[in-house]
Amino acid sequence: MADRDRTPGGVLKLLAFATFWGWLVVRWVNDWTGGILLPVGEPLLPVDTITAIGATFAGTPIGGFFETLAFIAPFLPRLAGGVWLTVILTVGGIALGFVIAVPLAATRVYGHYTRYVALAYIELIRGTPLLAQLFVLYYGTTLSIVIRELPGIGQGIVPPQAVWVALIGFTINSAAYQAEYIRGAIQSVDPGQLRAARAIGLDQLSGIRYVVMPQALRYAIPGWSNELIYLIKYSSLAAFITVPELFNRANSIASSNFRYTTLFVTAGLIYLCIVLTASNIMSRVEDAVAIPGLSVSEGR
Amino acid sequence: MADPLLRLDDVEQSYGDERVLDGISFEMDRQDVQVLIGPSGSGKSTILRCINRLVEIDDGDIELDGDSIFTMDENDLRRQVGMVFQDFNLFAHLTAIENVTLGLKHVLDMDDEAATEKAERQLEQVGLLDQRDSYPAELSGGQKQRVGIARALAMDPKLMLFDEPTSALDPELIGEVLEVMRDLADQGMTMLVVTHEMGFAREAATDIMFLDDGRIVEHGPPEQLFEAPEQERTAEFLERLTALHGGIHG
Repeated sequence: MADRDRTPGGVLKLLAFATFWGWLVVRWVNDWTGGILLPVGEPLLPVDTITAIGATFAGTPIGGFFETLAFIAPFLPRLAGGVWLTVILTVGGIALGFVIAVPLAATRVYGHYTRYVALAYIELIRGTPLLAQLFVLYYGTTLSIVIRELPGIGQGIVPPQAVWVALIGFTINSAAYQAEYIRGAIQSVDPGQLRAARAIGLDQLSGIRYVVMPQALRYAIPGWSNELIYLIKYSSLAAFITVPELFNRANSIASSNFRYTTLFVTAGLIYLCIVLTASNIMSRVEDAVAIPGLSVSEGR
Repeated sequence: MADPLLRLDDVEQSYGDERVLDGISFEMDRQDVQVLIGPSGSGKSTILRCINRLVEIDDGDIELDGDSIFTMDENDLRRQVGMVFQDFNLFAHLTAIENVTLGLKHVLDMDDEAATEKAERQLEQVGLLDQRDSYPAELSGGQKQRVGIARALAMDPKLMLFDEPTSALDPELIGEVLEVMRDLADQGMTMLVVTHEMGFAREAATDIMFLDDGRIVEHGPPEQLFEAPEQERTAEFLERLTALHGGIHG
């Protein structure tokens, strides 16, 4: 349930999330404001401190851990900047995709001829690689030129055009996947309920809006969470259209010092933290909106 | 007001090649309670669904209060004709009272306060005011069906259609639903009821129609059908039905 978890494990989890996101937020705010706390790009924990602590464990595995930490610390600010783009692309892509996915799913289920249009869109997008879609959008259309000319793009904290192209790409892609999850959920709502809605004089659209969708969207949450988690990791594909998100930065740092394993393990751990946060939030949402007496997760 | 409230005139309906209704004609006056009986597949439920146009007919005409229902707006018609379903079809994500207010708010455009007040009265009428905030999954079958009746009644229909309202219920829950229906009949609601509850039919019906193969085989007051059916088929069917359901809930 959504109640506060006060077990030691729950407190530890909360502490871990707070540390992770606290680090990121402090980093972002500091760097956007030109360094109100410490110079832009300087690690929160000084490398010397880490090395000093590590020295007391010299020769043990713990010492090795601090050595690695001391090595990676100077790069963390750059990685944190990449996380910001990863978060923007994921949250933006899933949210905008959702706005398209709901009518798309409804059309797919209830449309007459339009259902084939929805089906074609969904199959085309799901049937081709996301990377290919991003390449087509970025290199094959004038989209990035159009966006570049818009006022404010790439200035201050407004990201440059490649980020916007990636966001559009993720939106288009995620809409198709989300639509399929929502379609399945719509079809799991007993059609008798829509019939009953029609029988009291609601038109089809109102019946879908007030009766079918509120239930379908609840049933879609587990599948939809899956899509969110996929998208967090698929956002790394934006690296290939020059977006300096987490993966891109890890890769470019590693290419200058050849510590690929260290960098990618670090990036992987950061992705893991983001994913765990997302799945925790989604399971809380699922509990919060569960229909009394009907909840799938209750009594599990 | 000599017009009948409901008039079916030679209604025909088919699903594909299968003829479901084969020339159905009957009339209902205000405050009539007509009971439709007949073997499964005889077209009873289809007749109800034709009347609120959940199913479209192929030929013939249906008039409500003197107007052909095919000249009316579909949603306008449905507002005037309440329907109660065999499997309740309550809105699963809404509480009992929200099930009732949904139509009031979004079909009749009532504001929250007026809708709630009206819904409370309706729930009280079916004896469920104490369950106003329960969700369908927390209610018994009989309670669900009473909410279903309240939901339909809230729209102030001229005619109520009941499609086997007790068939999905455990035997011990049938009584509470029939009691609500009897009260409704006593208050003068016009009702067209598909049911196999012979006790209810005998006691509450003004007329009983026996339907077989999409035709009305026999139509008359309960005494006639029960005591002296004119048709052999009616007698056979009633005999079988009475053996199964007879008298239990009467």
